[in-house]
Amino acid sequence: MENKVGFKVYGKYALFTDPLTKIGGEKCSYQIPTYEALKGIISSVYWKPTIIWIIDRARVMNRIKTQTRNAKPIKYSGGNDLSIYTYLADVEYQVQAHFEWNMHREDMANDRNENKHYFIAKRMIERGGRRDVFLGTRECQGYVEVCKFGEGQSFYDKYGELSFDLMFHGFDYPDELGKDEYYSRFWRPKMKDGIIEFIRPEKCTIRKFVRPMTAHPPQSIGFEEEGLLEGYEERS
Amino acid sequence: MAWIQKLYETYEACSSMVGYSGEEGKRPLLPICHITAQANIEVTLGRNGDFLRASVIPDPHEATTIIPCTEESASRAGKKPECHPLCDNLQYVAGDFTKYGGVVTSGFAKDPEEPYRDYVKILSDWCSSKFGHQKAKAILNYVKKKRLIHDLVNHKILFLGSNKKFLHKKERKKDKNRSDIFDVVSDQGDAFVRWRVEIPGELETNLSKDNTLWHSWTQYYLSTKEKKPLCYVTGNDALLSTQHPKYIRAKGDGAKLISSNDTSGFTFRGRFLTDAQACGVSLEVTQKAHNALIWLVGRQGKVFWVKGDGGRKQPALTVVAWATSNQKILQPTESAFDIFPEFAELPSDEAVTAYTAQDIALKLRNKILGYKVEIGETKDVQVMAMDSASKGRLAITYYRELKGSDYLERIEKWHRECAWIHNYGYNEEKHKQFSFVGAPAPVDIAEAAYGERVDDKLKKTTVERLLPCIIDGQPIPRDIVESTVRRASNRVALENWQFNKTLSIACALYRKFIDDKQKENYSMALDPKRKTRDYLYGRLLAIADSLENWALNKANEDRQTTSARLMNRFAERPFSTWRTIELALSPYKARLGGKSKKRQRMIDEVKDLFEPNDFTNDKRLNGEFLLGYSCQREFLRNNSETLKEKEEVNEENSRNN
Repeated sequence: MENKVGFKVYGKYALFTDPLTKIGGEKCSYQIPTYEALKGIISSVYWKPTIIWIIDRARVMNRIKTQTRNAKPIKYSGGNDLSIYTYLADVEYQVQAHFEWNMHREDMANDRNENKHYFIAKRMIERGGRRDVFLGTRECQGYVEVCKFGEGQSFYDKYGELSFDLMFHGFDYPDELGKDEYYSRFWRPKMKDGIIEFIRPEKCTIRKFVRPMTAHPPQSIGFEEEGLLEGYEERS
Repeated sequence: MAWIQKLYETYEACSSMVGYSGEEGKRPLLPICHITAQANIEVTLGRNGDFLRASVIPDPHEATTIIPCTEESASRAGKKPECHPLCDNLQYVAGDFTKYGGVVTSGFAKDPEEPYRDYVKILSDWCSSKFGHQKAKAILNYVKKKRLIHDLVNHKILFLGSNKKFLHKKERKKDKNRSDIFDVVSDQGDAFVRWRVEIPGELETNLSKDNTLWHSWTQYYLSTKEKKPLCYVTGNDALLSTQHPKYIRAKGDGAKLISSNDTSGFTFRGRFLTDAQACGVSLEVTQKAHNALIWLVGRQGKVFWVKGDGGRKQPALTVVAWATSNQKILQPTESAFDIFPEFAELPSDEAVTAYTAQDIALKLRNKILGYKVEIGETKDVQVMAMDSASKGRLAITYYRELKGSDYLERIEKWHRECAWIHNYGYNEEKHKQFSFVGAPAPVDIAEAAYGERVDDKLKKTTVERLLPCIIDGQPIPRDIVESTVRRASNRVALENWQFNKTLSIACALYRKFIDDKQKENYSMALDPKRKTRDYLYGRLLAIADSLENWALNKANEDRQTTSARLMNRFAERPFSTWRTIELALSPYKARLGGKSKKRQRMIDEVKDLFEPNDFTNDKRLNGEFLLGYSCQREFLRNNSETLKEKEEVNEENSRNN
């Protein structure tokens, strides 16, 4: 399938929270984006239940640096809390991704038109996405632009290899997994000259079963649904 | 992020240090499932659990004891504190506690036997398991006899009143020659007991140093727990921890790096229902990593304290750098003097003159390179900073992993680019002040920028902002430089020593600032050819100051010179202020007569160096003027003798000219 797209995403801050620091609330970012975060970004740009976005690789353009900010989060039980969040500052990533059909959505089979989705995705990248884009967490607004993967200079060109310890990769949601189960996936990323080659979700061997979960796709079959257009007349 | 992985590796690499701190009075590297406690009474038993003797432990260093614990007992608090398995307070270990009027913690009030029962239960479970240890069995045998208080009273460790109940502290007549239990606790019931067991043929009687006992407890404790899925650090299924250690920055500091009890915030709600679904760390990893961190912070870390609620000092920002392989590492929070204590060996007069500053800087450099040889190229160095916004949780505010050689290169670069001659070094042992060359410590920078009485929080924030400058080579924040320059220019507001300290720090910072911005490196010695306006104005001020000072000294007058008083105004409007200063010099010139000729000529020489428009320009001076001022002052100070000698000869010469 010729459906590879490249884009760049940048922002002032990013927070790809390390799960160890997430549950306590003193959030601290991973050094590099997670697969799930990048998948979320391209899904914000364009997505339909017909497709699954697969992230092929990402390129870190700026030097990795962090900045802390004091936060005043809201408690569930009311009132405020005080925390210190550690963000990545001044980030820019080039991402290459492609889409595949979601075979667990039989109801979308008629929508599997590769050209259509490919060109919509390209147009949406040109326009900066359909919905707003954020880097890791909601407060880190990001911006998407067209870009050819590998163009321009990165701080990590000719830097050599950097390896990271066990890191969160992404979630297996039931709608893409086809089972009523929900998993977290992990992997050990390597960054070579700034480029991270992501492994495909099913290649992640380290998995944690989180809990049972059921997908609830809408039951509608679109305009073919009986009685939907009853009494409707198109104006001349 | 790998901080926990790296700490875990550090623990493994330093496992030979387990049980020791490496330095007197510092916190030891603890075995897992163990904590330290302050013991008050030491009881020695025989192999079958017969009471031999007991003593009070008056020395706090001596009292620090490594004891086994459970996860719950390690972080115990509240009305019903969990008991430790081996050593604990009297209410747990003494079966006859209540008989002598001992008062249990309020939660146990309804059933005062409960703590003792819990203790005996956990101890006998351990002893009857296949991991049981004969020393633990001896203790169990003894405590089952329920006669600990009885024996302690007989041996005059504890005291009873006439009613056969614990004696109150006030009722005790103090024997000055002998230290007793009231020296270490105010209520005898609170005393903490540790054990010694003497078994013929076994050398180690001290339970807190017996690693077979540590091992026995750890094995047993781990065997009581079930394996749960996936540790987020190793990626393996393991026994997960439900409680993570505290006391990371200092004793009594409750903030935790990993806290997982939060179901009342918005931290993981949504995708996950419980914290265990969101994250898990194995007990072994978290304990080893935390124990390593606690040990490293105590040994080589720097803790900044701030004033908290009720004015009590509490630990805040903590910075520690370490190598995975137990080597001493230069800390980013150190000044050049801390790295190079040999500065103190150099006699202060000749220590650092303007001419040798470069040599000393070179020596410092070699010293740092020496560390590099020791650490090697490939070893990793980690730098970690932690801070907390609230009491219970600790945040990682900075974390970097670098190759050892990169790390030392950055430290060396910082000390090279941010170097100046500082005179405020103080050797406590020799009670002597001395000079050193290099970068000032981040704390000193914060004080120079915001005053000696800088708010603790501002101080720690400044240190935190300087960390990336040192370790990542980021440019130094402009506001810190400007604030320091402004304070250094305002000489009348500062004591003399304060002014000198602020001045040298301002020079160091400005030098680094220009280096970052324009890649220009100022010399630490006077550069007589330099023609920039700010530099020359600085030199002028120093010469005028020196001339007047000399004259005042001669007349035994002790007051500030005109240049000192007008320094602030001079920095704002140099041209117009210079007129005032120069006019004010006339009486002193007259007083000194021919002797001031040399300095007067220097003033003219400097003036000649100005571009004509530069001199008349009344624009505000930037930090470079402090460099000119400092260099010229140092030059005059170091050459005062030669200048004087020449004075007479020159007088002749100038007449001839």
